[in-house]
Amino acid sequence: MLSDSGYYSRKEGAIFAGVDWPSVLIYMVMVSLGIMSIYASVYNDSNRAIFDMAQKSGSQLMWTGISVVLGVVILLVDSKYYHYIAYQAYAASILLLLSTFVFGRTVNGAHSWISLGPFSVQPVEFAKLTTALALGKYMGGYGFNISRMKSLSRVGMIVGLPALIVCAQNDTGSAMVFSSFLFMLYREGFTGWVYMVLGMIVFLSVSSFFVEPTALYVLIFLIVVAIEMRDNGMMKQKIVYVASVLMAMLLIFFGGMVLRHEISMMRAFILALAVTLPMVAVYAVRYKLRNVVVFVVFFICSLLFVTSVDYVFDNVLRPHQQHRILDLLGLENDVKGAGYNVNQSKIAIGSGGLLGKGFLQGTQTKFDFVPEQSTDFIFSTVGEEWGFIGSITVLALFVALIFRVMRMGDRQRDTFGRVYCYGVAGVFFFHFFVNLGMTIGLIPVIGIPLPFFSYGGSSLLAFSVMLFIAIRLNCNAQYQSWQ
Amino acid sequence: MELSRSQSLRIFIVLVALVIAGRLFYLQIIDTRYKEYANNNALRPIVLNPPRGEIYDRNGLFLAQSREAYDLMVIPRDVKPFDTLEMCRIIGVDKAELVGQLKKVGRSSRRPTVLFKLLDKEVKMKFEEYTFPGFYTQYRTIRSYPFHTGGNILGYVGEVNDNTIKNDSYYKRGDYIGMTGIERAYEEVLRGRKGVRMELVDVHGMPKGGYADGLYDTLAVPGVSITSTIDAKLQLLGEELMEGKVGSIVAIEPKTGEILMMVSSPTYNPDELIGRDRSRNYLKLLREPRRPLYNRAVMASYPPGSTFKLSTGLIGLQEGVLVPSQRYVCNSGYYVGRGVKCHYHDSPLDLRYSIQTSCNTYYCYVFRNILDNKAYGDVKVGFEVWRDYLLSMGFGRRLDSDFSGELKGNLPTVDFYDRVYNGKWNSLTTISLSIGQGEMGVTPLQLANFTATIANRGYYKIPHIIKSIEGGQIDSRFSVPNYTNIDPKHYQVIAEGMYRAVNVEGTAVGAAVKGLDICGKTGTAENGRGRDHSTFACFAPYNDPKIAMSVYVEHGGFGATVAMPIASLLLEQYLTDTITRPGLVEYVKRMTIEYPQYDNK
Repeated sequence: MLSDSGYYSRKEGAIFAGVDWPSVLIYMVMVSLGIMSIYASVYNDSNRAIFDMAQKSGSQLMWTGISVVLGVVILLVDSKYYHYIAYQAYAASILLLLSTFVFGRTVNGAHSWISLGPFSVQPVEFAKLTTALALGKYMGGYGFNISRMKSLSRVGMIVGLPALIVCAQNDTGSAMVFSSFLFMLYREGFTGWVYMVLGMIVFLSVSSFFVEPTALYVLIFLIVVAIEMRDNGMMKQKIVYVASVLMAMLLIFFGGMVLRHEISMMRAFILALAVTLPMVAVYAVRYKLRNVVVFVVFFICSLLFVTSVDYVFDNVLRPHQQHRILDLLGLENDVKGAGYNVNQSKIAIGSGGLLGKGFLQGTQTKFDFVPEQSTDFIFSTVGEEWGFIGSITVLALFVALIFRVMRMGDRQRDTFGRVYCYGVAGVFFFHFFVNLGMTIGLIPVIGIPLPFFSYGGSSLLAFSVMLFIAIRLNCNAQYQSWQ
Repeated sequence: MELSRSQSLRIFIVLVALVIAGRLFYLQIIDTRYKEYANNNALRPIVLNPPRGEIYDRNGLFLAQSREAYDLMVIPRDVKPFDTLEMCRIIGVDKAELVGQLKKVGRSSRRPTVLFKLLDKEVKMKFEEYTFPGFYTQYRTIRSYPFHTGGNILGYVGEVNDNTIKNDSYYKRGDYIGMTGIERAYEEVLRGRKGVRMELVDVHGMPKGGYADGLYDTLAVPGVSITSTIDAKLQLLGEELMEGKVGSIVAIEPKTGEILMMVSSPTYNPDELIGRDRSRNYLKLLREPRRPLYNRAVMASYPPGSTFKLSTGLIGLQEGVLVPSQRYVCNSGYYVGRGVKCHYHDSPLDLRYSIQTSCNTYYCYVFRNILDNKAYGDVKVGFEVWRDYLLSMGFGRRLDSDFSGELKGNLPTVDFYDRVYNGKWNSLTTISLSIGQGEMGVTPLQLANFTATIANRGYYKIPHIIKSIEGGQIDSRFSVPNYTNIDPKHYQVIAEGMYRAVNVEGTAVGAAVKGLDICGKTGTAENGRGRDHSTFACFAPYNDPKIAMSVYVEHGGFGATVAMPIASLLLEQYLTDTITRPGLVEYVKRMTIEYPQYDNK
């Protein structure tokens, strides 16, 4: 429960007092650019009216109107209210998610849509919002401690439940969005280890495709030593140790050759590690460093992980996922199959040049060369018609908005508001990074929309509500700071 | 400095944004390939084929016209499933053929490929009532020949081969090019210049209008029409008279060198070599034993026979070893060495009469006097002198006409006889050359040109087939008179001999037409393959000649039997535009000659 609800009141009649106008401005600019881009991507000579409701651009305009009205309503509602309804909203959204199994409709292989008369709703877009609210309420509640397993497992359950349901609906991309709450958790003091392990996983997964195994083992060894040094220092000992391991490895390798008993480099390296293990033990005991054990375990796990990447790739991933990854890593170049979307998107963006071809002048956009252009690949329209300048502008708008929302979080007096704002910032960041990265071929194709740009009522509405609740929560912080 | 966690997150966001910005910079600014890819995607160059220039005869009648036809093109990658039966019905092919063609072009290429060639306009109109994504029609021109005549003169137009495409960037696969005859010689004039229109297409390959307001488009420049020197009526009659016979007729206007007719028989109907049946008919013609595609008028190397005596006489006169009044005795032959036989006629006889009666003996004397001239001392020097005169008359070399495919004929060299006779030979060894027999050959064009030289009393203009090019000029080499190494004064007596042969007494009296003053020389050429060739060289009228002609009928027998009546009829037709001897026409037409040499192979 709120401990200081007494502060949560504003001047009578001042609906817009304390509103973070820069955020609202960025929002309006983004949504406008989004409508223009959608219009451009569906534009052809036979339908020229941007406001035609039968067209996607007209429909998006209508949803923008609804979103803005809803935004005003949100600003009118007392901020306490969002705290009160957090769990109920969460529960409702879980029910909505589950109902797709009954009433759902399949679009592009994902069974995650519900038809409501003329509209289709994607419940997962709202689940992100309610999850952020529920997390805020739980983490701001009494007895929450981020270092305790019990608290953490509850957080994991709140995030994991909708993610699992969405996953079961075959919408892996949206499920992955829920990992974006790690952003907020980092801010809340979640241990750095998790992030290091995650970073290591990404790094090793990619490296295992390119780096020869022995070299990769040595690389992991050096990285782990470096991380250990960051925590414990003592550079001299590290140099001695690394040198001994490498010397031992060479000795074993050449010794084998002399004795006519061929030993592979990989084996020589592992033997060298085993031989020099006493050094590590002595070091740990002498300097009373318990965490050395953790590093040793971390190292061994990394080696095992690298070895298992091939297995996972071959046996766990589905063929289309395998192709997407190989295509991204440049190990496969199938511009007609798996790589078709990305290739066309890159062509559209790349052909934009510095200044772009101009509004409605993009040939790739106008003549439908990029599939899914009004939705997931909307950024290719921006890239083609507005060029590098336009793309960088959009990039800057997103960074600014995310910074703005983070700032709102930092100014919150209570945990609920902070967790919520950082949760929203994380979701925005994840969408922004993954979507743009996908359209320019930086990361694999994960079908999630670009907030405020992509065509789709559900996502526009959900993102707008997320933002406006953050703005509403910020109003109070603002008001308080005046007092 | 220790960073707070929210600061670390901000730095992380900025780093990610910078990576994205860097990637955008690379894609949009550094790497220019994507602009090209985009153009490949959305721009399709549409080639605009110009109509081919038309060919007229000297009197303004159409010899070759252009009419429109359409190629059915396909862009395999843009093809969507369609109703194959519907398409088969429209273009009139069976399904197997359509499917076969589609299989041949594959399915992944985005290069436009010809699926079916030269469809009629009606088919194209019908085709355009339907939409078949990935298919479109392309304008072409196709020839039609109102007279169905002159196949070997006009030549034919065919698809370019790989070699041409490699050497000349103008041509693309599926383009048409003149392969022989006038079509080839004047290809660059007739073809015009292709244009291109850049068209925007969407992802389905559907056209979406022009690109950049036509900034990169060029218009097609239509081919230029040309007027040929051919007289269509004369040509037509010539082909008619030669029907069933193998041989050639070439007629030249002496004053200008314009080729009035050029028949190579058997000929073919040029209409057969157009449109979709072209390749099938071409193969058929190629396999015919009498070789209709072989243009005998400029390629065949025939022994000239007695017509060649005219040149022997001229050389004798120029060399000073003969005067017109010189008389030799002929006892039905020249009996020195291997000897040459002659037929019965009055003897002794002078130069004029030797032409009239076509005496072999007379020219054996003249020939030996030329080669064994004491002034040269050596027969080989004498032979070279003799040969040089002939070269100047246009024998043994290409005349450099505008007609492609012209060959040299055959004029033997000193080296040739040295090789054959191990260096031991003399004027008697080569005596048969004096009367146009032996190791030599001339083309009908060369013989006609030589006759024109006599008609002009000493000079010729390079024979050519093009009279004028619309808005252009024909090569200046055709308007310069070329004098032979024989003094023009010597030609008069030769012309006189030819006049008398027809109009007074001699071998060619059957050619005479009252009032036309025809001059002529018969030839009966022995050959190793059967009956003698029949040949006739002539011009008319005697004063102010309008036409010179050579007729050659393979295995036709005496020159007076076939070649001469044909020539006589053609001269009459050309000079008076009438035929007064329909009986003779019938006689010539009915005369059939057996050609076991060709047909029994």
